[in-house]
Amino acid sequence: MRYAVRWRSRVALGVPAALALLLLVVPLVALLLRADWARIPADLATPTVLPALRLSLTTTSVTAVLCLLLGTPLAWFLARSEHRATSWVRALLTVPLVLPPVVGGVALLMTWGRNGLIGQYLTPFGIQIPFTTVAVVLAETFVAMPYYVLAVEGAMRGLDPRLESVARTLGASDLRYLRTVGIPLVLPGIASGLALAWARALGEFGATITFAGNFQGRTQTLPLLVYVELERDPQVAISISIMLLAVSVLVLGVLRGRWLR
Amino acid sequence: MSAPSRVGDGLDARIRLSRGEIEVDVTLTAEPGQVIGVLGPNGGGKTTTVLALAGVLPLAEGHVRVGGQVWDDGRRRLAPEQRAVGLMLADSLLFPHLRALDNVAFGPRSRGVGRHEARDRARTELERVGLSDRTAARPRELSSGQQARVALARALATDPALLLLDEPLAALDPDTRARTRSDLAARLTAYDGVTVLVTHDPLDALTLADHLVFVEDGRVTQFGTPAEVLSEPRSAYVGTVVGLNLYAAQGDSHGHVHTADGGLIVTTSPTEGAVWATVPPSAVSLHRHHPEGSPRNTWRLRIASVTMQGQSARIGLVGEVPLTAEVTLESVTALGLQVGQDVWAAVKATEVRTYPR
Repeated sequence: MRYAVRWRSRVALGVPAALALLLLVVPLVALLLRADWARIPADLATPTVLPALRLSLTTTSVTAVLCLLLGTPLAWFLARSEHRATSWVRALLTVPLVLPPVVGGVALLMTWGRNGLIGQYLTPFGIQIPFTTVAVVLAETFVAMPYYVLAVEGAMRGLDPRLESVARTLGASDLRYLRTVGIPLVLPGIASGLALAWARALGEFGATITFAGNFQGRTQTLPLLVYVELERDPQVAISISIMLLAVSVLVLGVLRGRWLR
Repeated sequence: MSAPSRVGDGLDARIRLSRGEIEVDVTLTAEPGQVIGVLGPNGGGKTTTVLALAGVLPLAEGHVRVGGQVWDDGRRRLAPEQRAVGLMLADSLLFPHLRALDNVAFGPRSRGVGRHEARDRARTELERVGLSDRTAARPRELSSGQQARVALARALATDPALLLLDEPLAALDPDTRARTRSDLAARLTAYDGVTVLVTHDPLDALTLADHLVFVEDGRVTQFGTPAEVLSEPRSAYVGTVVGLNLYAAQGDSHGHVHTADGGLIVTTSPTEGAVWATVPPSAVSLHRHHPEGSPRNTWRLRIASVTMQGQSARIGLVGEVPLTAEVTLESVTALGLQVGQDVWAAVKATEVRTYPR
């Protein structure tokens, strides 16, 4: 009797658990099975892939640099502030994490578009942001920055605040403390934040296609190309997908091995 | 207290602020070269005082003047990095990614000294604490005692006019603590600024400090040289720290001392009025039967606790006059002392000291 009960609860839990695992793993297996491994090098060298690869690499790199330069100070303010407003800022930051990317794209259009909140002041100078490479970077930064800031803020919160008190009595200004002590000590957090943000930027699709369009060599990043190639030559789409999958796994491996617990 | 002319070159501070539950109002003065030991129970405002002196916490009211310079007058406040201050805390809090040498050079570098000069200075400071052979070590490669010495060298490398040591030895094991204490004492004698040493260890305070300040519940309860404090404690906490039985009492000219709890103690050194009365634990003898002869004080008391301390035992007694007695281990066994038992405690009237409250 007891054995039967245990067996029944095992099934009740085990079947949905197995289903969940299958839902996640089978698509990846399917992708790998359908790949024509011998064709991959040639596929990745086609005239449409190379510009998209180059564009993806440059825009995600610029995004990573923007995260580093702008996100690090923001993370520092969030980490050291005890003000109530801080928790609101932090909540705001998480919105892009859960927002449908296409909504982000629309929001960016409302900001930088010809008649947008900021865009209307740029139009007279002949500056147009939407449907340019700059727009790709803005879209990627919009979705990736929160990952970076939250990762780095977490790392900075882990620092003993008394280290800063000691550094200040030794004569260090905020900037010097951050440069010589704070940032070196949170380098692992910065590295994992960069990797997360970069991976998120690399996969960006919805906000980019809405805000930047799909122009080869200018705004067509790898995910956008996959979408196009799926209609034109599915095998090329699969090859690119395999490459993106490999990159994701690589990033994850690096994070796990060195910076994640 | 010290002559005002020299205090002007030293430390003159009144710290008033509230932090959490506690309202701190502490006055500290010292001449250059002096070590002020700040003692008190945990949560009494010691660390708050230190952080306010460092400028990490703002004063609500009061002033901080060091070496003739105004650091805080209640309105304008110098930031910590603008003060000639050195801070050392219980955990050495070395920068873990920097070598010992660069930890010590951090201060001079932050204050605009060139790299070479700063490292030379750091080397000198490490030499002074006996660590000239460990300059290249990272903090985690150093023992806890060595880390504490590096932290001291780092705090002194900027030539602070005020050195703040907050429980500098608390994190060390007993052996290391004894050695580091003497290293610290040696280094402090060569330091000509004011040192504020926060500790809850009476031994630290008695061996390192010229003056003691007791801070309880945010207030100074006693101030004086170690000798003064040892002989005339003025609060229950201070009494415990210096190891004396202390009673707040009323005395008369006949040598009768009435404690606040209704007990009677007889002394040969009468003081009239509100008095403190002290009884050294070593002056208490314990007996199974009512003792005959000279002792003028005898009480029937109950044993509440027995603790061992080396070759002697401390017996906590409750009753008419609560007492701590220090007796030999032999008498513990000879008398068969046990918790819950009633015994006779005797103290000679000549051993009871009184002084005005």
